[in-house]
Amino acid sequence: MDHPNPLPQFLHDGDFLGVLKAHGYEVAPRLAAAAATFADGAHHGTIATEGTTVLAVKFKDGVLVAGDRRATAGNMVMYERAEKLITIDSHSVLAIAGVPAVAFEMARVLEHSFKYYQRSQLQEMSTAGKVRSLSKLLKENLPLTLQGVGMVVPLFATYEQDNGKDGGGKVYFYDALGAQFEGVDYAASGSGSPAVRSVLHYLNTYGGKPLAKFNESEMIVTALRLLDTAADTDTATSGYNPKSNIFPIVRVITQDGVHEISETDLAKAYRSDT
Amino acid sequence: MIEEPYRWVEAIANRREYIEDQLRRGSPIVLLNYADGLLLMTVSRETRKIFEVYDRIGFAALGHPADIERMRLIAIDLAHMEGFNRAVNDVSLRRLVSFSMSPALKGAFEQVYGPPFIVKMLLAELGDDPEHDSIVKLDYDGSMGRSEIEMKEPFDVVAGTAEAEQQMLNYLVDNNGNRKRSLEEALKLAAQTWTVGMEIAERTGQAEGDETKSEEIDTVKVLKETLKSRHVEAAVLDRNRPASSKFRLLDEKEIRAALKDL
Repeated sequence: MDHPNPLPQFLHDGDFLGVLKAHGYEVAPRLAAAAATFADGAHHGTIATEGTTVLAVKFKDGVLVAGDRRATAGNMVMYERAEKLITIDSHSVLAIAGVPAVAFEMARVLEHSFKYYQRSQLQEMSTAGKVRSLSKLLKENLPLTLQGVGMVVPLFATYEQDNGKDGGGKVYFYDALGAQFEGVDYAASGSGSPAVRSVLHYLNTYGGKPLAKFNESEMIVTALRLLDTAADTDTATSGYNPKSNIFPIVRVITQDGVHEISETDLAKAYRSDT
Repeated sequence: MIEEPYRWVEAIANRREYIEDQLRRGSPIVLLNYADGLLLMTVSRETRKIFEVYDRIGFAALGHPADIERMRLIAIDLAHMEGFNRAVNDVSLRRLVSFSMSPALKGAFEQVYGPPFIVKMLLAELGDDPEHDSIVKLDYDGSMGRSEIEMKEPFDVVAGTAEAEQQMLNYLVDNNGNRKRSLEEALKLAAQTWTVGMEIAERTGQAEGDETKSEEIDTVKVLKETLKSRHVEAAVLDRNRPASSKFRLLDEKEIRAALKDL
């Protein structure tokens, strides 16, 4: 006879998204329905809030990740203190450009996916595995992306330590459909990214020394200048806002983990700049 | 068989006897407070017995490895679902145990045609300060009873037999002088308490009616003998850990250093 099973069958592959789905969680379909209505509204002036310029650059000790603070909806500034960098685990940062509503949900899923995998499988997920997890989430978000209302184009920066081996800083960027690419030296995303990428290319090639040779303080100054440069031509990007004293967010990832650069240190970097 | 209530009671009693017999020689677990948080300690052969459930929740168990694994995954699944759907601070050990783990254990135990969990667990949740730490002892039948001493004290134990648990608690009460003890001191005390529990659990099986008292055990000698074929496993929930997760498995070097001049 069939023995009654008092418990549901649990997945043992450490896939948190699978557990979420088994409990009835679904991001894309539910949001897509809402988005369809939303897209209709777009013609009447309702526009989704979007976050803009983020960048990740490899330097001597690891990776630096920076993001400006402005969130816009169309030509309106929604918020000047948006945080576009999300620390996912001790050595990884997700930098988001696009619709925060979707991006923050992705970051939440990702953060819990890594924790869940590590705790249930008793080992750290490999860098390749982490990069792939984000790619999967972007593909889940395809319906929203195609409707043009929930597009997210993130960067993923991490310090690779697979199997205890020091793999150094890594930078990955994605397209909205979920394809992943590894940035050799740097990556940027968002509306201000063309300016950032051009300057980074120039610096890396003709700047006297490659970006990978920059030390931490040189890289911080460079990142702040880059965001200011992007803000110069892109209205959706803010640099340093002296009137309200709002600084970009800058984090460095080294072998020791993720470390946020304090506003005091950023202020110092700005001062050394002028 | 279970159509008659009397038979069901009998079946449950048999099942209880069977499970307790299986658990009798399990390696005891000690949970002990120290200056920075809580320490979980046991001695194991191969399989791990101490695990992280969530940022502030630790889990240790004795019993069948497959059942330990099932309970562990239930706890991890639920904690992460809760942390994801609400917030990290909403994951609470009390709710995890009383609404999910305990009913699951009771259900499995009382359905006499299904397999029960052969497992005894000790779970700990680190609070912002020692007053808000919580400890849960969870049995194979879903019960969560802690004795009067256990309710009062910031430490607890589980062992294969009630007698062993009692003697371990007595040993801890007698030796619980310095509550601000360092991690090293805590490890030493935990290791000695473990030895008391293991000795008594093993002796109960051998000679009926021959009661051993904890004072009669040469803990250092027994421990040294044990560690020739097994190793100490220990983890802490450390309030001062900068990461969001407060759980840390101690490495072999750290444990060996703490226990070398025992």
